[in-house]
Amino acid sequence: MDAIVNKRIKQVLNGNQDAYAEIVDLYQSRLYHVCYRMLGNKHEAEDITQEAFLRAYINLHTFDQKRKFSTWIFRIATNLCIDRIRKKKPDYHLDAQVPGTDGLDMYSQIAASEELPVEQLEKMEIQERLQYEISRLPDKYRSVIVLKYMEELPLQEISEILDLPLGTVKTRIHRGREALRKQMSQLPMTEVGGK
Amino acid sequence: MGACHEKYMDYMHAYLDGDIPPEHEQELKQHLKSCDACQAHMHELSDVVAFMKSAQPVTPPPNLTSHVMASLPKRTVSAGPQS
Repeated sequence: MDAIVNKRIKQVLNGNQDAYAEIVDLYQSRLYHVCYRMLGNKHEAEDITQEAFLRAYINLHTFDQKRKFSTWIFRIATNLCIDRIRKKKPDYHLDAQVPGTDGLDMYSQIAASEELPVEQLEKMEIQERLQYEISRLPDKYRSVIVLKYMEELPLQEISEILDLPLGTVKTRIHRGREALRKQMSQLPMTEVGGK
Repeated sequence: MGACHEKYMDYMHAYLDGDIPPEHEQELKQHLKSCDACQAHMHELSDVVAFMKSAQPVTPPPNLTSHVMASLPKRTVSAGPQS
Protein backbone atom coordinates (compact mmCIF):
# COMPACT_ATOMS: atom_id res chain seq x y z
CA MET A 1 0.00 0.00 0.00
CA ASP A 2 2.86 2.39 0.79
CA ALA A 3 4.07 2.14 -2.80
CA ILE A 4 0.70 3.20 -4.18
CA VAL A 5 0.44 6.02 -1.68
CA ASN A 6 3.89 7.32 -2.50
CA LYS A 7 3.07 7.22 -6.18
CA ARG A 8 -0.06 9.27 -5.58
CA ILE A 9 1.85 11.70 -3.39
CA LYS A 10 4.34 12.30 -6.19
CA GLN A 11 1.47 12.93 -8.59
CA VAL A 12 -0.08 15.44 -6.20
CA LEU A 13 3.24 17.20 -5.73
CA ASN A 14 3.55 17.37 -9.50
CA GLY A 15 0.31 19.29 -9.68
CA ASN A 16 -2.27 16.55 -10.08
CA GLN A 17 -4.64 17.52 -7.32
CA ASP A 18 -7.17 14.81 -8.21
CA ALA A 19 -4.69 12.12 -7.18
CA TYR A 20 -5.22 13.23 -3.60
CA ALA A 21 -8.79 11.86 -3.63
CA GLU A 22 -7.43 8.34 -3.69
CA ILE A 23 -5.26 9.03 -0.66
CA VAL A 24 -8.28 10.40 1.21
CA ASP A 25 -10.30 7.34 0.24
CA LEU A 26 -7.61 5.02 1.54
CA TYR A 27 -7.28 6.59 4.98
CA GLN A 28 -10.59 8.25 5.75
CA SER A 29 -12.15 5.32 7.62
CA ARG A 30 -9.27 4.87 10.04
CA LEU A 31 -8.80 8.58 10.54
CA TYR A 32 -12.46 9.24 11.12
CA HIS A 33 -12.65 6.37 13.59
CA VAL A 34 -9.77 7.71 15.66
CA CYS A 35 -11.23 11.24 15.63
CA TYR A 36 -14.63 9.95 16.58
CA ARG A 37 -13.28 7.97 19.52
CA MET A 38 -11.18 10.90 20.67
CA LEU A 39 -14.00 13.44 20.42
CA GLY A 40 -17.13 11.32 20.92
CA ASN A 41 -19.06 13.42 18.46
CA LYS A 42 -19.78 12.75 14.80
CA HIS A 43 -19.85 16.34 13.65
CA GLU A 44 -16.57 17.20 15.30
CA ALA A 45 -15.00 13.99 14.07
CA GLU A 46 -15.97 14.88 10.52
CA ASP A 47 -14.69 18.40 10.96
CA ILE A 48 -11.32 17.34 12.31
CA THR A 49 -10.88 14.53 9.77
CA GLN A 50 -11.38 17.02 6.95
CA GLU A 51 -9.06 19.51 8.58
CA ALA A 52 -6.38 16.83 8.97
CA PHE A 53 -6.55 15.94 5.27
CA LEU A 54 -6.41 19.59 4.33
CA ARG A 55 -3.34 20.20 6.49
CA ALA A 56 -1.69 17.08 5.15
CA TYR A 57 -2.28 18.35 1.63
CA ILE A 58 -0.86 21.78 2.33
CA ASN A 59 2.21 20.28 4.02
CA LEU A 60 2.61 17.31 1.71
CA HIS A 61 6.02 18.52 0.47
CA THR A 62 7.36 18.11 4.03
CA PHE A 63 6.32 14.44 4.26
CA ASP A 64 9.29 12.09 4.24
CA GLN A 65 8.31 9.28 1.87
CA LYS A 66 10.63 6.83 3.58
CA ARG A 67 8.17 6.87 6.47
CA LYS A 68 4.61 5.63 6.71
CA PHE A 69 1.98 8.06 5.53
CA SER A 70 -0.51 6.66 8.06
CA THR A 71 1.80 7.58 10.95
CA TRP A 72 2.13 11.10 9.63
CA ILE A 73 -1.57 11.73 9.06
CA PHE A 74 -2.53 10.13 12.37
CA ARG A 75 -0.17 12.54 14.04
CA ILE A 76 -1.77 15.54 12.38
CA ALA A 77 -5.24 14.27 13.33
CA THR A 78 -4.47 13.40 16.96
CA ASN A 79 -2.88 16.81 17.49
CA LEU A 80 -5.97 18.49 16.10
CA CYS A 81 -8.20 16.33 18.32
CA ILE A 82 -6.22 17.18 21.44
CA ASP A 83 -6.40 20.89 20.62
CA ARG A 84 -10.13 20.60 20.17
CA ILE A 85 -10.61 18.72 23.45
CA ARG A 86 -8.61 21.33 25.35
CA LYS A 87 -10.52 24.20 23.83
CA LYS A 88 -13.97 22.86 24.49
CA LYS A 89 -13.35 21.71 28.04
CA PRO A 90 -14.57 24.59 30.21
CA ASP A 91 -18.02 25.43 28.94
CA TYR A 92 -20.05 22.46 27.92
CA HIS A 93 -23.51 21.98 29.30
CA LEU A 94 -26.37 19.62 28.81
CA ASP A 95 -28.28 22.42 27.10
CA ALA A 96 -25.69 22.28 24.33
CA GLN A 97 -27.62 19.31 22.96
CA VAL A 98 -28.92 19.95 19.50
CA PRO A 99 -32.06 18.19 18.29
CA GLY A 100 -31.10 15.49 15.83
CA THR A 101 -27.71 14.77 17.35
CA ASP A 102 -27.51 11.33 18.83
CA GLY A 103 -27.27 10.38 22.47
CA LEU A 104 -23.53 9.84 22.39
CA ASP A 105 -22.94 13.54 22.00
CA MET A 106 -24.72 14.35 25.20
CA TYR A 107 -22.87 11.73 27.18
CA SER A 108 -19.52 12.83 25.88
CA GLN A 109 -20.26 16.44 26.71
CA ILE A 110 -21.24 15.90 30.29
CA ALA A 111 -18.68 13.17 30.74
CA ALA A 112 -15.66 15.28 31.54
CA SER A 113 -17.21 17.01 34.50
CA GLU A 114 -19.96 14.75 35.79
CA GLU A 115 -20.22 11.17 36.80
CA LEU A 116 -23.48 9.56 35.85
CA PRO A 117 -25.50 7.67 38.45
CA VAL A 118 -25.48 3.87 38.25
CA GLU A 119 -29.13 3.76 37.17
CA GLN A 120 -28.24 5.74 34.10
CA LEU A 121 -25.17 3.62 33.35
CA GLU A 122 -27.33 0.53 33.48
CA LYS A 123 -29.54 1.89 30.75
CA MET A 124 -26.68 2.49 28.34
CA GLU A 125 -25.98 0.26 25.39
CA ILE A 126 -22.50 -1.27 25.35
CA GLN A 127 -21.19 0.99 22.60
CA GLU A 128 -22.63 4.03 24.31
CA ARG A 129 -21.00 3.08 27.57
CA LEU A 130 -17.72 2.47 25.82
CA GLN A 131 -17.67 5.97 24.37
CA TYR A 132 -18.71 7.44 27.71
CA GLU A 133 -15.80 5.74 29.50
CA ILE A 134 -13.30 6.80 26.84
CA SER A 135 -14.50 10.38 27.00
CA ARG A 136 -13.89 10.49 30.74
CA LEU A 137 -10.21 9.70 30.30
CA PRO A 138 -7.76 12.60 30.52
CA ASP A 139 -6.66 13.38 26.95
CA LYS A 140 -3.11 12.12 27.39
CA TYR A 141 -4.42 8.66 28.28
CA ARG A 142 -7.27 8.84 25.81
CA SER A 143 -5.03 9.15 22.77
CA VAL A 144 -2.87 6.13 23.64
CA ILE A 145 -5.86 3.97 24.57
CA VAL A 146 -7.68 4.86 21.36
CA LEU A 147 -4.64 4.18 19.19
CA LYS A 148 -3.88 0.92 20.94
CA TYR A 149 -7.33 -0.58 21.34
CA MET A 150 -9.44 1.03 18.64
CA GLU A 151 -6.77 1.12 15.95
CA GLU A 152 -4.74 -1.79 17.32
CA LEU A 153 -1.46 -0.08 16.50
CA PRO A 154 1.87 -1.37 17.78
CA LEU A 155 3.39 0.61 20.65
CA GLN A 156 6.30 1.70 18.47
CA GLU A 157 3.95 3.28 15.96
CA ILE A 158 1.97 4.99 18.72
CA SER A 159 5.22 6.44 19.98
CA GLU A 160 5.95 7.86 16.51
CA ILE A 161 2.44 9.24 16.07
CA LEU A 162 2.43 11.02 19.41
CA ASP A 163 6.13 11.87 19.27
CA LEU A 164 6.68 10.36 22.71
CA PRO A 165 9.39 7.98 23.89
CA LEU A 166 8.30 4.33 23.92
CA GLY A 167 8.61 4.24 27.71
CA THR A 168 6.19 7.14 28.08
CA VAL A 169 3.68 5.45 25.78
CA LYS A 170 3.84 2.30 27.92
CA THR A 171 3.39 4.26 31.13
CA ARG A 172 0.40 6.10 29.70
CA ILE A 173 -1.23 2.89 28.51
CA HIS A 174 -0.74 1.38 31.97
CA ARG A 175 -2.23 4.44 33.64
CA GLY A 176 -5.00 4.64 31.09
CA ARG A 177 -6.00 1.04 31.80
CA GLU A 178 -5.90 1.70 35.54
CA ALA A 179 -7.99 4.84 35.08
CA LEU A 180 -10.59 2.87 33.11
CA ARG A 181 -10.61 0.16 35.75
CA LYS A 182 -11.27 2.71 38.49
CA GLN A 183 -13.87 4.59 36.45
CA MET A 184 -15.72 1.39 35.75
CA SER A 185 -15.56 -0.07 39.24
CA GLN A 186 -18.89 1.63 39.92
CA LEU A 187 -20.56 -0.65 37.39
CA PRO A 188 -18.24 -3.08 35.60
CA MET A 189 -19.40 -4.33 32.21
CA THR A 190 -19.35 -7.86 33.58
CA GLU A 191 -22.40 -6.90 35.64
CA VAL A 192 -24.24 -5.67 32.58
CA GLY A 193 -26.36 -8.16 30.66
CA GLY A 194 -24.38 -8.08 27.43
CA LYS A 195 -21.06 -9.42 28.68
CA MET B 1 -1.51 -2.55 48.51
CA GLY B 2 2.12 -2.83 49.48
CA ALA B 3 5.33 -2.54 47.50
CA CYS B 4 5.19 -6.24 46.64
CA HIS B 5 1.87 -5.72 44.90
CA GLU B 6 3.18 -2.72 43.02
CA LYS B 7 5.78 -4.93 41.43
CA TYR B 8 3.10 -7.37 40.30
CA MET B 9 1.00 -4.48 39.05
CA ASP B 10 3.85 -3.61 36.70
CA TYR B 11 4.07 -7.25 35.65
CA MET B 12 0.34 -7.31 34.93
CA HIS B 13 0.59 -4.35 32.58
CA ALA B 14 3.67 -5.75 30.90
CA TYR B 15 1.74 -8.98 30.46
CA LEU B 16 -1.23 -7.15 28.91
CA ASP B 17 1.14 -5.44 26.49
CA GLY B 18 2.71 -8.77 25.53
CA ASP B 19 5.91 -7.31 26.82
CA ILE B 20 6.77 -9.53 29.79
CA PRO B 21 9.92 -11.68 30.11
CA PRO B 22 9.06 -15.39 30.60
CA GLU B 23 10.54 -15.51 34.12
CA HIS B 24 8.36 -12.58 35.25
CA GLU B 25 5.33 -14.19 33.69
CA GLN B 26 5.99 -17.37 35.67
CA GLU B 27 6.41 -15.35 38.84
CA LEU B 28 3.21 -13.41 38.17
CA LYS B 29 1.20 -16.57 37.57
CA GLN B 30 2.49 -18.10 40.79
CA HIS B 31 1.64 -14.96 42.72
CA LEU B 32 -1.89 -14.71 41.31
CA LYS B 33 -2.63 -18.23 42.57
CA SER B 34 -1.96 -17.17 46.12
CA CYS B 35 -3.11 -13.54 46.19
CA ASP B 36 -6.83 -12.78 45.84
CA ALA B 37 -6.37 -9.02 45.68
CA CYS B 38 -3.96 -9.21 42.76
CA GLN B 39 -6.07 -11.83 41.04
CA ALA B 40 -9.14 -9.59 41.25
CA HIS B 41 -7.10 -6.68 39.93
CA MET B 42 -5.86 -8.74 37.00
CA HIS B 43 -9.44 -9.78 36.18
CA GLU B 44 -10.63 -6.20 36.21
CA LEU B 45 -7.82 -5.11 33.91
CA SER B 46 -8.54 -7.98 31.51
CA ASP B 47 -12.20 -6.98 31.49
CA VAL B 48 -11.25 -3.41 30.64
CA VAL B 49 -9.14 -4.64 27.73
CA ALA B 50 -11.90 -6.92 26.43
CA PHE B 51 -14.37 -4.07 26.75
CA MET B 52 -12.15 -1.66 24.81
CA LYS B 53 -11.67 -4.25 22.10
CA SER B 54 -15.43 -4.56 21.68
CA ALA B 55 -15.55 -1.13 20.07
CA GLN B 56 -17.36 -1.30 16.77
CA PRO B 57 -16.05 0.59 13.76
CA VAL B 58 -17.88 3.75 12.83
CA THR B 59 -18.50 4.71 9.23
CA PRO B 60 -17.38 8.09 7.97
CA PRO B 61 -19.99 10.23 6.21
CA PRO B 62 -20.30 9.22 2.52
CA ASN B 63 -19.28 12.59 1.10
CA LEU B 64 -16.12 13.07 3.15
CA THR B 65 -13.74 12.72 0.21
CA SER B 66 -15.62 15.20 -1.94
CA HIS B 67 -15.75 17.69 0.94
CA VAL B 68 -12.02 17.36 1.45
CA MET B 69 -11.35 17.77 -2.26
CA ALA B 70 -13.56 20.86 -2.40
CA SER B 71 -11.69 22.39 0.54
CA LEU B 72 -8.25 22.14 -1.06
CA PRO B 73 -6.60 25.34 -2.23
CA LYS B 74 -6.44 25.76 -6.01
CA ARG B 75 -3.50 24.16 -7.79
CA THR B 76 -1.75 27.44 -8.51
CA VAL B 77 -1.28 28.05 -4.79
CA SER B 78 -0.84 24.39 -3.89
CA ALA B 79 2.12 23.50 -1.81
CA GLY B 80 5.36 21.88 -2.68
CA PRO B 81 8.01 22.28 -5.31
CA GLN B 82 6.30 22.64 -8.66
CA SER B 83 7.92 20.71 -11.42
